[in-house]
Amino acid sequence: MQSRTTTHTAKTSEYLLDMGEPSDSYDSATASHHALHSIKQELTRHPIVIETRGFPAGEFVEVVADLAIERWGVDSGNATLTVRWFAGESEDARPEFSFHYSDAERDLGWHHHEQEHVEGWGHFQERTGTAEYSYEPYTFPSENPAPLVWEIMSLLSARL
Amino acid sequence: MSDSAGIEAWKEQTTAFDRIQSVASAVSKPRPVSYIADEAHVAENTARDHLERLIELNVLLKRDRDGTAHYAPDPLHTRIQMLRELLEQHDRDGLIQLKTSLQSQIEDWQNEYSVESPAEVRARAAETETSEQTREIRQTASDWELISYRLSIVEDAIENYDTYSEDFRVSA
Repeated sequence: MQSRTTTHTAKTSEYLLDMGEPSDSYDSATASHHALHSIKQELTRHPIVIETRGFPAGEFVEVVADLAIERWGVDSGNATLTVRWFAGESEDARPEFSFHYSDAERDLGWHHHEQEHVEGWGHFQERTGTAEYSYEPYTFPSENPAPLVWEIMSLLSARL
Repeated sequence: MSDSAGIEAWKEQTTAFDRIQSVASAVSKPRPVSYIADEAHVAENTARDHLERLIELNVLLKRDRDGTAHYAPDPLHTRIQMLRELLEQHDRDGLIQLKTSLQSQIEDWQNEYSVESPAEVRARAAETETSEQTREIRQTASDWELISYRLSIVEDAIENYDTYSEDFRVSA
């Protein structure tokens, strides 16, 4: 256990000493946490969001936001957006992420990861109840988490 | 080209400084001012001024690459933010409980996959038969990495609890 945690501390030191050598300094966990913190911050700023938290409690591998969708004129309980983000195994790798919404009636989201349902990584998926998901291709306008939060919230508003 | 409705809302609800900070704090590799300005929807000169301010505040690091300034989040800043959040949410016993919980999660994965590291789990993705299995394994590997990172910070908080909590009480 100690060796793993020491690795993260050592990675931080390497990064600080030599930010210009990304192949030696990149740490996917650190990069992913940077992204998750930015996502949490941007969700907190959105007027529909009531509360944000790292999830599971204490682990913080994803961000969950409780939404007040009645402010969009939509009536449903337990409206939440769950966001996952993995920055990739190298600094030039494509990030893997998902923005997934659910409430008492709906289950849908915009995802960017390897899958076999549509061509490419980006897609929108939706289902009703426990039925199978339906999929359609989607091209994300950015791969930076901050603007994406607002793009997705706008798309979500239109979908609901 | 005009901005999308989502970006228009972002610009209404935030300042240029907010957007620059969020974009630059989330890059996975050092980026030039042009990239950050584009993503934050601000002019390059505005972005450059705010980036320099964020360097002064130790939020970002700056380095020249091929004669161009590149910016990236300062991992120490993020680490200190997380330490402070942990100290706000937990006392020493709570931190020890959290450490045990995180270690237990990692041990579960070690036993489930008979491996010692997230990299070994990720290597298993090459042996799966469906994309769903591949995705599940890759997700476990990334979760494991994130939890290991968090565990390192929890251990830091426990090891230096007296010092950090004293500093926290003074600054609170």
